[in-house]
Amino acid sequence: MRRRPPAGLGPAPAVLADGRALSAAMLRQLFVGQCLVLALHLPWMPAWLAGLAVAVAGYRHLQLRRRLPRASLLLRLTAVGGLLAALWLEFGTLYGVDGLIGLLLGVYLLKLLETHDRRDARVVVMIGVVATSGAFLHDQGLLMAGAALLALGWLVQSLVWLSGASGARQAWRETAWLLGLSAPLMALLFVTFPRVGPLWNLPQVNRASTGLTDEIAPGDIAELSRSDARAFRARFEGREPSPHERYWRVYTLSHFDGVRWSRTAPRELSSVLGRPLDHFAREGQHTPWTDDAPRFTTELLLEPDSRPWRPSLGTPLASDSRQRFLADGTLEGLSPLGSRSLLRLASSGAAPSNPDPAGPAWQAMLPAEGNPRTRELAERLRRESGGDARAFLAAAMARFGEAPFRYTLSPPRLSSADRVDEFLFGSRAGYCTHYASAMAVLARAVGIPARIVVGFLGGEWHPDGHVTVRDYDAHAWVEVWLDGAWRRLDPTGVIAPERIEEGPQAIRDGREAFLADAPFSALRLRELGWANQLRLEWERLEYRWQRGVIGYQRASRAALMERVSERLRALWAWLIEVSPGRGILAAVATLLVTLGGLAGGAWLLWLGWRHHRRGRDERALLLVLQAWLARRGLGPAPGESPAAHLRRIAPRAGAAGPALEESARHIERLAYAPVGSAERRERQRRLARRVAEARRRLGRRKSSAP
Amino acid sequence: MPDRVASDWRERLRRRWLGRLTASLWAPLPQSRLFLLPTRFGLGWAGLVVLLVLFGINYQNNMAHALAFWLFALGVVVLLRTWRNLLGVRVALRLPQEVFAGNEARLGVSLEGKRSRTALVLHAGGASAQADLPEGRGETTLALPAPRRGVQSLPPLRIESRWPLGLVRVVAWLEPGGRLLVYPRPLDADEPLHRRAGAGLDASDFAGLRRAEPGDSPARLAWKQWSRTGVLAAKVFSVPPRQQLWLDYDACQGEAERRLSVLCARVLAHHQAGDRFGLRLPGLTLAQGEGARQRRLALEALAHFDPATASPEEGA
Repeated sequence: MRRRPPAGLGPAPAVLADGRALSAAMLRQLFVGQCLVLALHLPWMPAWLAGLAVAVAGYRHLQLRRRLPRASLLLRLTAVGGLLAALWLEFGTLYGVDGLIGLLLGVYLLKLLETHDRRDARVVVMIGVVATSGAFLHDQGLLMAGAALLALGWLVQSLVWLSGASGARQAWRETAWLLGLSAPLMALLFVTFPRVGPLWNLPQVNRASTGLTDEIAPGDIAELSRSDARAFRARFEGREPSPHERYWRVYTLSHFDGVRWSRTAPRELSSVLGRPLDHFAREGQHTPWTDDAPRFTTELLLEPDSRPWRPSLGTPLASDSRQRFLADGTLEGLSPLGSRSLLRLASSGAAPSNPDPAGPAWQAMLPAEGNPRTRELAERLRRESGGDARAFLAAAMARFGEAPFRYTLSPPRLSSADRVDEFLFGSRAGYCTHYASAMAVLARAVGIPARIVVGFLGGEWHPDGHVTVRDYDAHAWVEVWLDGAWRRLDPTGVIAPERIEEGPQAIRDGREAFLADAPFSALRLRELGWANQLRLEWERLEYRWQRGVIGYQRASRAALMERVSERLRALWAWLIEVSPGRGILAAVATLLVTLGGLAGGAWLLWLGWRHHRRGRDERALLLVLQAWLARRGLGPAPGESPAAHLRRIAPRAGAAGPALEESARHIERLAYAPVGSAERRERQRRLARRVAEARRRLGRRKSSAP
Repeated sequence: MPDRVASDWRERLRRRWLGRLTASLWAPLPQSRLFLLPTRFGLGWAGLVVLLVLFGINYQNNMAHALAFWLFALGVVVLLRTWRNLLGVRVALRLPQEVFAGNEARLGVSLEGKRSRTALVLHAGGASAQADLPEGRGETTLALPAPRRGVQSLPPLRIESRWPLGLVRVVAWLEPGGRLLVYPRPLDADEPLHRRAGAGLDASDFAGLRRAEPGDSPARLAWKQWSRTGVLAAKVFSVPPRQQLWLDYDACQGEAERRLSVLCARVLAHHQAGDRFGLRLPGLTLAQGEGARQRRLALEALAHFDPATASPEEGA
């Protein structure tokens, strides 16, 4: 495309001289709006949509330039058919959120083909607004909000052009006025509008879930997520956990088939064991399984996820909304999260104290065969510890602390059928899942119920007290049933205590492996002081935005409304107290007097401002003076110039005469002489002074007359 | 009969309604005469707000809520700004100098407001025009069709604005109250006109001296006399006698309007030729005269002429 000056440089009205057809400048405006709206979607939508936008715009360009025919009905139908086919190929279905958004975007872009008059252009802008709101299904972060504001500004500006703006300056100024004036009302509505639950079901967005899997097979490479994607953020009310307490429990894995540990969901458990489902999971706001005392209250800001997992610091005990509490001391949401949402949770900070309803036999089950050397080792350790479970577990843990076991994020691959043997007696290198798996197998081999817990350990602490937990914080550890309660055993803590205290980046050999999946992550800039500071600031801002604006739902609204009404009540009470009389009437009177005083002050300010303006504009000054004189019967004759008028009445004005004469001189100089700006200001000031003097003296004469 | 009654009644209601609605010219448009009406686009906008609120509720999406509320707030602000765009505008009309039937009456409209205004649209009798008031002052022209001869009252003027977003339009009706005099459509007659344009019309014969007045051409000043007497005088030349004639309604042929058209064309032609002419219409005689005034009087007489007064005479 040849570059042409942007629409704002010359007078380029939205419609051509015939009053109907859109000008090329207006079409360009619409196209830029389309590009902005499309940019909001592109990180999540197929890139060929950008190609479609360019193709449609190119067709319109050629049509305007070379007199190509208007897009025929056949062409438009073909385009829509092609769009549907492409979306179907891309997503496999059209009735998914992504498919629908794609359809909306495609229609938005294709509509430009048949946009010929003002009405069409307004329809295009409206579709653009809908498409902008569709982008909030992908993300509602701060960046998205800023970009959407830009797009909205542009769309509003297009509408201003369509209503007859004559220049870019005017259009942008009007847009700024409109957006600025409407923003307070928008904020008020946003805060006060009641939030209700979904009215009916709509297709939800499926988002790739975070790094946790519900089965682990130690030895398979790349199963430990090393991406820096955020799993969730949390804030603590009251006590904060110390580093060795930051175990976020998510799933327990209790089934081991010799190679992999997998999770057995409550539904599977109930069908395998032939017992009702509510023996394993119940919905409610409080856990029915245990009466442990809550130690931590956390407010979680969860990322959207298609799976219902909810992390908790130890055993979940109570939450602010209905959840599904599982008997193994974990928690599930009732529905997948389509967008970020807040969850308040009280938890114990420790492993649960209730027995697993599946029974100790289930929790100590091992395959009949396999890993013979591990079983042998377990048997030997049991004999050495004299049958005491505690001593056995201590001995087993102690083994991991000895060389040549080492902690690494990139261990050699294990491929044999007896993986635990291979790890314990062969490679002796691995990360949390290797150690947890081996420990659980050792415990089960001697009949101690044990299970693996998958979750997160640690997180990044921000200066304002919130903590970000990322995929690479994922961790696995063991819980064993001992003395009537589950106990946490973390073999990783023996082999690599710094992992517990400082996080995964502390692992020396993990330097190159850490963040291996995120080559461009901002987290790589940790070493750079100011960059890290900037990153932390941005994350703090993002967190506050997500918590305060996006998480502003029913509960937070109710709390805010409560606070506001409390303030108002306090204000009212204060008013009744300070008002001179007693009772409501006096308070109302005080309020009215105060408001009246404020309004009067504003009015005086406005008068002063007007006076100031008049001082800078001699024509307005003269109009006022002449009107004032006319009320005293000294008005101008028809067709008389202001200067002539003042000169005519000067001889009769007595003391005001010289002032009027001088005013007339100034007026003439200002009106006709080529005066510089400095002299102009000086004369304007003098004129204002003379006019005021004339009014003063004339007024005195009138009032002193009998 | 009931049909007529109904239409009568409707007409009365319409007039009454207009009387209530209309504002007067020359004065700034007052609040009570401005009417805010939603446009179709505005209704669509309202639907969009509802749609977005539902979207926000069903997806529990706060940003969609915010967008919906912002669109709503924009609508409210637009209501005020559209209204403010027309409030206090002063409309003045300039009637065209002369209008001949079949042409358009170009009505000058000057608009004045204290602030700058944008995209004001005027409608009257099928014509429309748009004006911007960048410094609080603007001009535009309304081309009203003038199909028939005679006195026409100016159609009611509608001034409206959809600035800044086109969601609502603010409308005011103005009653111009003025009357437009439409001259007949000039029609060159079939019979040849005895025009003597130009011939012998120059003032060339010296007739004497008179006192000079400011504005006299220097070529006409009597410089010689001035050098002799010191008094500045101007030379006066006599104008040769012009053609003197009568334009007579009865001398024309055809129906009344055609005769008037022919007379109108002749008035224009004779005026241009500088002739002295008089006009005889049934019931009205315009004495012979010349110049712009005579032309105007003659054209006005033709415009005002009512053929109904002529027909009984013809029949007699």
